[in-house]
Amino acid sequence: MDIIPRMHSRSLLTALIATAVLAGCTLFRSPPAPPAAPGGGGMEAGTSQPAQPAPQAPAAPAPEAPTPPATAPPRQFHLGSATSALVTQAHQQAASGDTAQAAATLERALRIEPDNPLVWIELGRVRLAENNPAQANAMGRKALALATGDPAAQSSAWHLIADALRARGDNGGAADADRRAASLAPH
Amino acid sequence: MVLLVLGAALLAAGLYVLYLDRLVVTQFEGRRWTLPAQVYAAPLELYGGLPLSPPELEHELQRLHYRRVDRIDHPGTYHVAGEHVEVALRPARFADETRPAQSLSITTAGAKGIESLHDGAGQEVPVLRLEPLLIGSIFPIHGEDRIVLSPEEVPPLLPQALKAVEDRKFDTHHGVDPEAMLRAAWVNLRARQIEQGASTLTQQLVRSYFLSSRQTFSRKLREAVMAMALDAHFTKADLMNAYINEIFLGQDGDRAIHGFGLASQFYFGKPLSELDLPELSLLVAIVRGPSYYDPRRHPERALARRNLVLKQMADQGVIKPADATAASHRPLGVTSRPAGAYYPAYLDFVRRTLRRDYRDQDLTEAGLRIYTSLDPRAQDEAEHALEHELARLDRQHKSRTEALEGAVVVTSPQSGDVIAIVGGRNVGYDGFDRALDAHRSMGSLVKPFIYLTALESGRYNATTVVQDAPVDVKLTGGKHWTPENFTHEVYGPVPVVRALAESLNLATVGVGLDLGLPKVAETLQRFGVQQPPVQVPAMLLGAVDVTPIEAAQLFNGLANGGFRNPLRAVRAVISADGKPLKAFPLEVTPVASPEVMYQLDRMLVLVMDHGTGRSARALLPPELVVAGKSGTSSDYRDSWFAGFSGSHLVVVWVGYDDNEPTGFTGSAGALPVWAHIMAGLGTSSWNAPMPESLVEVHIEYPTGLRAVPGCAADIVAVAVPDGAAVPPHPGCGFPEGASSTSAGLLDRAQQWLRSVVH
Repeated sequence: MDIIPRMHSRSLLTALIATAVLAGCTLFRSPPAPPAAPGGGGMEAGTSQPAQPAPQAPAAPAPEAPTPPATAPPRQFHLGSATSALVTQAHQQAASGDTAQAAATLERALRIEPDNPLVWIELGRVRLAENNPAQANAMGRKALALATGDPAAQSSAWHLIADALRARGDNGGAADADRRAASLAPH
Repeated sequence: MVLLVLGAALLAAGLYVLYLDRLVVTQFEGRRWTLPAQVYAAPLELYGGLPLSPPELEHELQRLHYRRVDRIDHPGTYHVAGEHVEVALRPARFADETRPAQSLSITTAGAKGIESLHDGAGQEVPVLRLEPLLIGSIFPIHGEDRIVLSPEEVPPLLPQALKAVEDRKFDTHHGVDPEAMLRAAWVNLRARQIEQGASTLTQQLVRSYFLSSRQTFSRKLREAVMAMALDAHFTKADLMNAYINEIFLGQDGDRAIHGFGLASQFYFGKPLSELDLPELSLLVAIVRGPSYYDPRRHPERALARRNLVLKQMADQGVIKPADATAASHRPLGVTSRPAGAYYPAYLDFVRRTLRRDYRDQDLTEAGLRIYTSLDPRAQDEAEHALEHELARLDRQHKSRTEALEGAVVVTSPQSGDVIAIVGGRNVGYDGFDRALDAHRSMGSLVKPFIYLTALESGRYNATTVVQDAPVDVKLTGGKHWTPENFTHEVYGPVPVVRALAESLNLATVGVGLDLGLPKVAETLQRFGVQQPPVQVPAMLLGAVDVTPIEAAQLFNGLANGGFRNPLRAVRAVISADGKPLKAFPLEVTPVASPEVMYQLDRMLVLVMDHGTGRSARALLPPELVVAGKSGTSSDYRDSWFAGFSGSHLVVVWVGYDDNEPTGFTGSAGALPVWAHIMAGLGTSSWNAPMPESLVEVHIEYPTGLRAVPGCAADIVAVAVPDGAAVPPHPGCGFPEGASSTSAGLLDRAQQWLRSVVH
């Protein structure tokens, strides 16, 4: 079993998430400003430099052992059959240019599975198509909060956030969010 | 001279006739084009895995007036055969789709709920919604309601029956029937009072427009002139249709039942098109005197009159004599309670939402269809729990003659849908709507927002020990503010989690003053308080006036993991010709970090297990995880409880309208109402994922010292930032100097390693 590489990637992953999470907090508090990414805004959460060790645990002895997931074992979100059918329908509606209908259909799906980050990501994608990057970004963040423990879903959420930031002209933040997405994506 | 006077009199009479003509024609035209906005509840989504038991499914079908039959034939019927429920669905119009009638087969898995759905061709259907329940219309005249039917929606038998019974010469007369009038006049003259009516349908229509039941000769004359005017201007078909939609057919509290469409729902709980002969005949019978022939209060009178109507219809050749006889032997068939939902407080919220975008006239005349988030099941639970519990509380407080009042708001936190609103204990009464208009002190409901601010500061976590000690704040003007705990005791050092769970005033004021009033006020505004709170120290104990719907907006952000969404009642507005006019899309705005929210929400879970919410436990399913906060304003004037599960937020307020003290806390007044609603909603546990930067630690509840389960009494689990310093309990065998939670990190790392290797 290739335990070691897995653990390694996981500890990196956790550090990344911790950084992301801390960066996310900059929306709400005013910690020392993180170094702004070149060409980036610096206000948006995603613009802080990634891949630094989580500064929130400096007092902790750097654990030699890999860091396990903080909550339950890793999970993988998928769509139930009802929501899956609605998401398919929404894709068709969006493809034919009817984003309002697609959004309404996705809201039906969300009422059935409100805690499924994949549905929030779908709705965020429609908001992006409607040229509403602010809501796309917010829904990406909502998905991210729900996706804890599912790297694939977290990665999709970061991709959505990246696209939303890009649509707002925040290329630095977008690149940063893309890196987070890539680091979480299954290899 | 005589001629001149005569001429002047004739001219005056002519002008008067012209005036009446204009008056009645304007009225008719106005009504004819008045298509009130029709308001629909949220449709019930059916899908495999929905936890809806067969009895609940049947209840939902009956709410939509589906009838159980042995063999499904026409739309609006269903048949139960073992695990299968066959439904002939009616055609349905949704905000985003129009669906023709179709058949549906629902396979249930007993009490577990729905297993699968299949269409008429046997194809599996992943998800399908029932048609939305019509919950009312927005009408210009207060207290009037009706369901407007087009001529095509009216069964052909109804106009025939009305003519046979009320006005045999309707098709040929000119608005009045002189022969019948003379006959009636003779009878009335002999009796020296009005005994016999001879009004044509047209005259009855005129009378209904001008809302007068006084029968004087001059009024009769005026009515006759107007009826003739109407007849001259409009076709018989138009007049008949107006009559069918207009005539008064009953009274439901403050709500007048107008038109056969609504009367059919009111008496039989189903649409007019689905009435059989005896049912339709009963409605025709009621026309003569809705109160005298009220089939619920005077069933014998109503039955006799219905059978007379059947006989007259047979005599006139409208129906076969054999059918009349058969129908005469049928019972009245009215529902025991007025069927059809009437939710004035919810409609009030809908109306106010729409007034931002529409003129009153658009809402009352343009035939809009309005799709809302109302969940009739949640609404019923909320109404029932409030009525029931307030009656119980009133019995406990016999000294008060005045009745307690209350209000409830229920939302789906993630979508921000408002799914139920109760504006007072008299739920069908369209009066003062406390859910929207009662501005009351939020009391201790403010405390979660103070501790949220504390967590955000980075200087506090759930285990931080704070001082519950006497407070003395010098106010401007030399006065002193010296608040006390509800128990009038002082608790000394307590962990934050306990200060919140037990709603300790002194500890909370200490924390709030440390953070500063502007910070706390800013948090409240971020979560959606309408008016900027007045920044006085008493704000920290909830001297902030909010309405129940506003409290729901504030707590919705807590229930939705720190995301604020504007509470919505209206999902979409569709024009009369089916075009989408306005949508109220789901919006979320992050207002607090997931980490801070999770820590706070875990403490609010402990309110239910250890604090002021614990008495609710006995009423809730044992495994259901909920979070909440009680609120009691000064002198017990307001009793609040606001709390949430994984899928519902419920806010309850209880108090007196005159703001007199109630004598009980949030836990004693509002909490039982809240718990009954929560228990009845069939809700899911609060189950937010713990953010990866937090760890769960066990602490001794009274002291906040770090513990492990079993090593001390009264141990609770809280979430704190990874690496937070939590002093260990000396009796729990922690290694020397292990004050950081990251020691726990190592433990868990080993556990995880073991789980991976195995």
